[in-house]
Amino acid sequence: MLLVEDSMTRDVVTLGPDTTAAEALAASRRERVRHFPVVEGGTLVGIVSDRDLRSATPALGDPDRAGALQEMRVSEVMAREIRTAHPQDPIEQAANVMRERKIGCLPVVENGRLVGILTASDVMEALVYLVGAHEPGSRMEIAVPDRPGALAGVAGVFGMCGINIVSVAMGAKTKSPSGDEFGERIVVFRVDTIDPSGVVEHLENAGYRILWPPRP
Amino acid sequence: MNGRAALVHDRALEAYGFGDDHPFNPLRIRMTLELCDALGLFDGHPWVEPELAEEADLLTVHSLTYVRLVQQAAAGLVDLVELAPYGIGTSDNPVIPRVHEAGAHVVGAVLKACRVVMSGEYDHALCVSGGLHHALRARASGFCFYNDAGVAIARLKEEHPGIKVAYVDTDAHHGDGVQWMFYDDPQVLTVSLHESGRYLFPGTGGVEEKGRNGGIGYSVNVPLEPYTDDESWISCFEAVVPEVLRAFEPDLILSQNGCDAHKLDPLTHLSATTRIYEHVPRRMHELAHELCEGRWVATGGGGYDIWRVVPRAWTALWAAVSHQDLPEKAAADWIAKWSSMSPVKLPALMFDDPRDYPPGPRQPQISDANHRTVEAVLEQVLPHIR
Repeated sequence: MLLVEDSMTRDVVTLGPDTTAAEALAASRRERVRHFPVVEGGTLVGIVSDRDLRSATPALGDPDRAGALQEMRVSEVMAREIRTAHPQDPIEQAANVMRERKIGCLPVVENGRLVGILTASDVMEALVYLVGAHEPGSRMEIAVPDRPGALAGVAGVFGMCGINIVSVAMGAKTKSPSGDEFGERIVVFRVDTIDPSGVVEHLENAGYRILWPPRP
Repeated sequence: MNGRAALVHDRALEAYGFGDDHPFNPLRIRMTLELCDALGLFDGHPWVEPELAEEADLLTVHSLTYVRLVQQAAAGLVDLVELAPYGIGTSDNPVIPRVHEAGAHVVGAVLKACRVVMSGEYDHALCVSGGLHHALRARASGFCFYNDAGVAIARLKEEHPGIKVAYVDTDAHHGDGVQWMFYDDPQVLTVSLHESGRYLFPGTGGVEEKGRNGGIGYSVNVPLEPYTDDESWISCFEAVVPEVLRAFEPDLILSQNGCDAHKLDPLTHLSATTRIYEHVPRRMHELAHELCEGRWVATGGGGYDIWRVVPRAWTALWAAVSHQDLPEKAAADWIAKWSSMSPVKLPALMFDDPRDYPPGPRQPQISDANHRTVEAVLEQVLPHIR
């Protein structure tokens, strides 16, 4: 779960180094993709985006544009130093590379062969599924003591109330405005119920601090 | 602006509910009807009998596997573990005896309401038991087993080829089930005003959910900030609903009138009062006459302050559907009868006093955020609706 191969797009639209800019932009419109791995003899040799192509050619309306688009080859604009991901990389590692390098996609390579591409939208989708936002549920925020067993305690209360947990995310330690740690962490639950009021009461009675929902 | 109005109801509809310890308690229907009756609002309006929904009706929007499981669950023939993926037998959607029949009966009632309006027998119709908008194709959700509006719209489309139906959902929860059933259908405009799904169930209903394929622009979502008050709620409703309905030009308006956006509602965090339950039906009525010769079917929906909010909100709804003025005061004998059961004091007046609901400290920011949402909604959908 949460590996690059779970979220990557497998049907990759690739270009050859000799593809013209005109052909590449047409492919971008037709296939609705922005990033193209460039492949030569089965090997990944570069990556090019529709933006790279546009900024390297004369602007729309320029009489020289059509000619330039026919002239220019993808190999002239593509990036040759490429960061890639492996299908079994954790997705957070790939996401971190994309974030730090400010890049919109990573080609996925296994045994020297291009097997997929991971784009920013794929990462977003993984996040949506990770937090279960595609299934019906209510979101709850609970502050729990930062000590072993705290999460189990909360989860036990949901179990006792017969409410299924759709997802759990536990965040960093909370801090006061002066920077002191409160000794608690915030946990966000998505739970499969339209009516969390009963479980809220049980959690409060058990001493947990509920940040959302508010008491009626 | 005058027309004949039908209340589609029978006692069997009140079997749909999950008991006294569950928020979806059928007493809310009983209290509403008795309040209407005590105020004389049923005089000259005999109830119209629901029809019985066939299994084939349910299968227009639900999967056969799911319908079978609901039937078998009620008969105690299936293990709870097997039902869980279908949302059946959870604390929200417990299995009650004859839940299939009860759910199907609600569907039949809303079907009947739509048919008497389409046939011209009545101009408007109300079924307070309807509005089970969370039911999904193969999953019970949020107290809803079968999606009455979904089935009714699917059948209307078969019986009246080319019909355009506007579904307007003002429940505090997103009308997800109905939206997904017609997500790529340009003949069905779904409009939902609800508390933002950032926190609230079901979590969907963002501005960017605007339909798919040919249906792009025909799903309209107005997610409102928690603690939104009457003023901002009504201004959002007025900015979006008339405009998208006029662009769409429906042949029938089906409204889901859940009343859980009220400040007293225990399940949600909006801060409306009975003012919106006076405003919405009046405007739906006017728009129905302006756009589709009065063809308007209204249903109930959510609403979990069953003592102070639901009976008054839906009595106001029936008054609008049936062109009657609402008295200022609730009926004394109704109050006397239900006070003994109510854990809270029953309101003596039909409408809330605004002085009891002063604006919260963050109202300007909330209104501003809602205003920006409305602008984004119109920008997303208006160019597509025709």
